[in-house]
Amino acid sequence: MAEAVVRMGEAAASATPGDTLACIGLGSCIGLVLVDRARSVAALAHVMLPSAPAEPQAQPYKFADLAVSALLDLALAHGALKPRLEAAIVGGAAMFQFGAGGSGQDIGARNESAVRGRLDGLGIPLRAAATGGGRGRTVRIFVGPDVAITVREAGGREEALLGAPMTVGVAA
Amino acid sequence: MNTFTDMQLDALRELANIGSGNAGTALSSMLGKPVDISVPTAAALPLPEAVAVAGDPGELRHGVVVPIVGDLDAIVVLLFPHDDAKTLCAMYGIEPGTPDGDSMLGEVGNILGANYINVLAQMVGMELEPTPPQVVEDMLGAILESVLLGRGEDTPTALVLERLGL
Repeated sequence: MAEAVVRMGEAAASATPGDTLACIGLGSCIGLVLVDRARSVAALAHVMLPSAPAEPQAQPYKFADLAVSALLDLALAHGALKPRLEAAIVGGAAMFQFGAGGSGQDIGARNESAVRGRLDGLGIPLRAAATGGGRGRTVRIFVGPDVAITVREAGGREEALLGAPMTVGVAA
Repeated sequence: MNTFTDMQLDALRELANIGSGNAGTALSSMLGKPVDISVPTAAALPLPEAVAVAGDPGELRHGVVVPIVGDLDAIVVLLFPHDDAKTLCAMYGIEPGTPDGDSMLGEVGNILGANYINVLAQMVGMELEPTPPQVVEDMLGAILESVLLGRGEDTPTALVLERLGL
């Protein structure tokens, strides 16, 4: 039983019951979750920016335009079946105004729409989202027969986003 | 990942040392109390590590963000654990997390940020100007990643310089 903390630009996947995957303290970044609930496979990426620069070395999980298909591959490698994959997204908040940006839209919103666009393109249904606003969030995925995803907003309580509500205090 | 030479890091640390010394003096005269500044260390870290050295990403911090405009795109960010925010606010008989408390922390951020930036600007001959501070209470990781990525640019490393102690 282990918790994998997925930091900026990283990803993790598990099919081991009892494992948890987490992005802790998401601000403008997106925590992208892919789950195959029938096979109890979950994958999580901590996506930082909407699009990758034009260089071959770009780290795939950093950028929304590369992260969705890279995470799909990672989930499949852990035994997920593509037709059963479902997605959830968390984050994309706008905590500060920095001006300048150019497009007029903040980075959190741009991250979210880039991720949504790629999920659409790959035909992966988005089942749940906790995005936007001005607060940071933590997302946790509990791997097991009933894959559950929870979200906690800064200063708030952990709440179910997808799947069975948390069962408390079951020791392994 | 480290794209700075030791000499460059030394120079940056010296700049930070002078900048924070100046900022500390200004804060000390505002508060009427001594302000100690710990010896800065300089390191260029990949972003995930830069966030990790700041502490538990899920913990709440009072954050003051001072965007800098001019010859250099920069953002000064100050992070206060709740107890420190409380200590600072208590000097003025106010509570952190209230509009008055936010305003007080914003002012501290303003003074530290402006003085830090002024020294930097003078030493490197740049025009740098702070813009009004923005105050939040949020998760440490969320504050830092929003600041580091706020302009939508891919920054491989962050310079982590020092900490102030009251």
